[in-house]
Amino acid sequence: MRTILNRTRSGLAGMLAAAALLAGATSAMAAQTVGPVTDDIGVIRIPKGAPIQIGGTWVLSGPDTALGLDERRGVEIAFKDAGGQVLGHPLKLNAEDDQCNAEGGQTAATKLAANPQTAVVLGPACSSVATPGAPILWQAGIVEICTACTAPALTAPGRKPEYAGFARTVFSDSEQGKADATFIANVMKARTVVTIHDGSPYAQQLQQVMADNFRKLGGTVLSQEAVAPTDVDMHPLLTRIASEKPDLIYFPVFTAAAAQILRQAKETPGLERTALMGGGSLLSADFIEAAGPAVVGFRIGYPDLSPDAMGKGYPHFVDEYKRAYGEAPISGYHANAYDGAMLAIKAIEKVGKTDDAGNLYIGKKAFRDAVFSIKFEGISGPIACDAYGECSQFKPSVLEFTSADPKTFGIGQNPKKIWP
Amino acid sequence: MARMGAVDVALWGMRIGVVLVVVVGTIGTLIKGRYTAAQWFDFVMFGLTIGSIYAQIALGYTMVYGVLRLINFAHGDIVMTGAFAGYFVAAPLDRSGFLQNHPVPGMVAILVVAIATSTTIALLTERIAYRPFRRVVGLAPLICAIGVSFFLEQTFRGAFGSAVKSYPSPEWQRASFNVIGFNVPGIDVLVIGLALLFMLVLYLVVQRTRMGKAMRAVAEDGEAAALMGIDVNKVVVFTFTLGGVMAGIAGVFYAFVYKQVYFFMGFTPGIKAFGAAVLGGIGSIPGAMLGGFFLGLVESVGPSLFLDGIGIPAPYQLRDLIAFTLLIMVLIFRPQGILGERMAKKRA
Repeated sequence: MRTILNRTRSGLAGMLAAAALLAGATSAMAAQTVGPVTDDIGVIRIPKGAPIQIGGTWVLSGPDTALGLDERRGVEIAFKDAGGQVLGHPLKLNAEDDQCNAEGGQTAATKLAANPQTAVVLGPACSSVATPGAPILWQAGIVEICTACTAPALTAPGRKPEYAGFARTVFSDSEQGKADATFIANVMKARTVVTIHDGSPYAQQLQQVMADNFRKLGGTVLSQEAVAPTDVDMHPLLTRIASEKPDLIYFPVFTAAAAQILRQAKETPGLERTALMGGGSLLSADFIEAAGPAVVGFRIGYPDLSPDAMGKGYPHFVDEYKRAYGEAPISGYHANAYDGAMLAIKAIEKVGKTDDAGNLYIGKKAFRDAVFSIKFEGISGPIACDAYGECSQFKPSVLEFTSADPKTFGIGQNPKKIWP
Repeated sequence: MARMGAVDVALWGMRIGVVLVVVVGTIGTLIKGRYTAAQWFDFVMFGLTIGSIYAQIALGYTMVYGVLRLINFAHGDIVMTGAFAGYFVAAPLDRSGFLQNHPVPGMVAILVVAIATSTTIALLTERIAYRPFRRVVGLAPLICAIGVSFFLEQTFRGAFGSAVKSYPSPEWQRASFNVIGFNVPGIDVLVIGLALLFMLVLYLVVQRTRMGKAMRAVAEDGEAAALMGIDVNKVVVFTFTLGGVMAGIAGVFYAFVYKQVYFFMGFTPGIKAFGAAVLGGIGSIPGAMLGGFFLGLVESVGPSLFLDGIGIPAPYQLRDLIAFTLLIMVLIFRPQGILGERMAKKRA
């Protein structure tokens, strides 16, 4: 009797979990049988010889272009390493420019979701894109493997069902914020900080996590300020902050606004001895160009990209990158993007079925389950997703810019790793 | 006594609410004493600096509106073209050390190229895009102006890339003066002083020259002016030339103060300058100047002065809200703008 009850309970729990998984997606989709494949939410049929279409969404224009372009290149190298094809079908990347904002994210996701041949979407670089974009894609039963969006809410245990198709091969800022707070409190010995965000999910959540952890370490957060990403005149805000006399200003915002804050802070009376620290969105030559001489000595929190912290294949990847594009990596998330693409390729290999005529079939739910269950050694480290789509592991570091010449940009040189 | 409708009550409620926030907030902030006199002085200087740039851009909006009744939404992007052109002169001059060692000829060269570029583009947009719509009634000219704005942005993005370019910052720009104990940045004084000078020259051109008189005549009544023998096309070209010149100057000043150029940089100051032109009384040249300074000052001083005192956190994210709320308040009391009365009466 007890066994029957237990079975009933576990069956009910399984059904509830499945219902929750499917609730956000697939209101318009139902179980489908196409060729040899039956799937709860739909099947993609790829005719013989036709390409497997993989969507991509990154910031490919504007001040943060390097962030997105670097990831796109990581994906392209992954495709090349896979031989340019999977299960006999060539891989085709349909990349959209999401401009690193919510409107661009909605547009890109809608366009990719409207293509019934989209097997999976890689990207974006920005949490403000993933936040509105992932539910649109999952509504069409499309999994999104994010390559750089790090906002904690996207893979938090309490996330909404419409994010059930979202996974990422990049760390969560719940780790980054904690690491930044540790560095600021224990290494820099700062006792008081002011944070600035720009309203984006990335900046807002990262500064909040840092502030919460900084308080736990005994520090005082004097205020949490906000700017718009398009603001140029930071002088009044910085004068206001100067009246609080903080030890450090923490502003994990994007290139244009961060460069303005950095430049103008150096000119603001009262902030001469205040330290400044930013976030991972600023690891690019474009930021050095935008910030000018003020960038020297500026620090950013970032996952450790030194060869000993990365996977075994990373040095080979960097060589390939230089060969393919004639320059070293232009930002910091190329390895995460490479691993995201590899995860997608492995999942297709696992669930794709080919009929006698050479047509390929991919079950959408089966694909999602494969993404969440595959484990492998990536070039950014071990990849293994938890139940909420967090697939990457985090190793913290702090980088410091050493030169104002954008041509000297190189991870490890400018900026160089100063901690741990 | 006429009975008040629900809308009137709501409007009065809004007025009283805004006045309360301003008064209570200001008193609260001053009682808290969080800011030193030097910091209040800095707030004012920052406001006057950005305000002088808004004012120069607003002049372009207001002159074109006065003559053509056209809101030239591309004007912010004309400013961007001037800033870009100036950058391509300033960067090599800075690298060679010329800008550092010879600031006056260096700045003149930058301004001349910027003005020539922005004026040429302003005239081309008038001739190619706006003139065919001259007699068209309705929203088509406005949509055309928005189209020109996108065209300019995307053309510059395509030609020069989408990354932010850093404007040179020679040593002399970072100089500052001590005036009765207050630190005054030299670049702010230069920008405010030259902006006032150029605006005065523009005002005299419009008020004291023959072409300026013709411009005012066309602004009053284009058809009557044409019947009096005024060449309206020539007046329109002259108006766009003046607007282009001011846009070039504003673009260079904006870039020198905020040290960045990129293809989308003209949009936000353009919109704000349009607000300043409306605030001052669109069509009125002194009004545009006044509106620009008012908007700049409110943006800079407002969040600290009005919101700190009532405990609003992160008040600077609300600076546009404060500035445009006050703009709406002014327009509720004076729909024609601060200095728009004369123009409105004559047109009526």
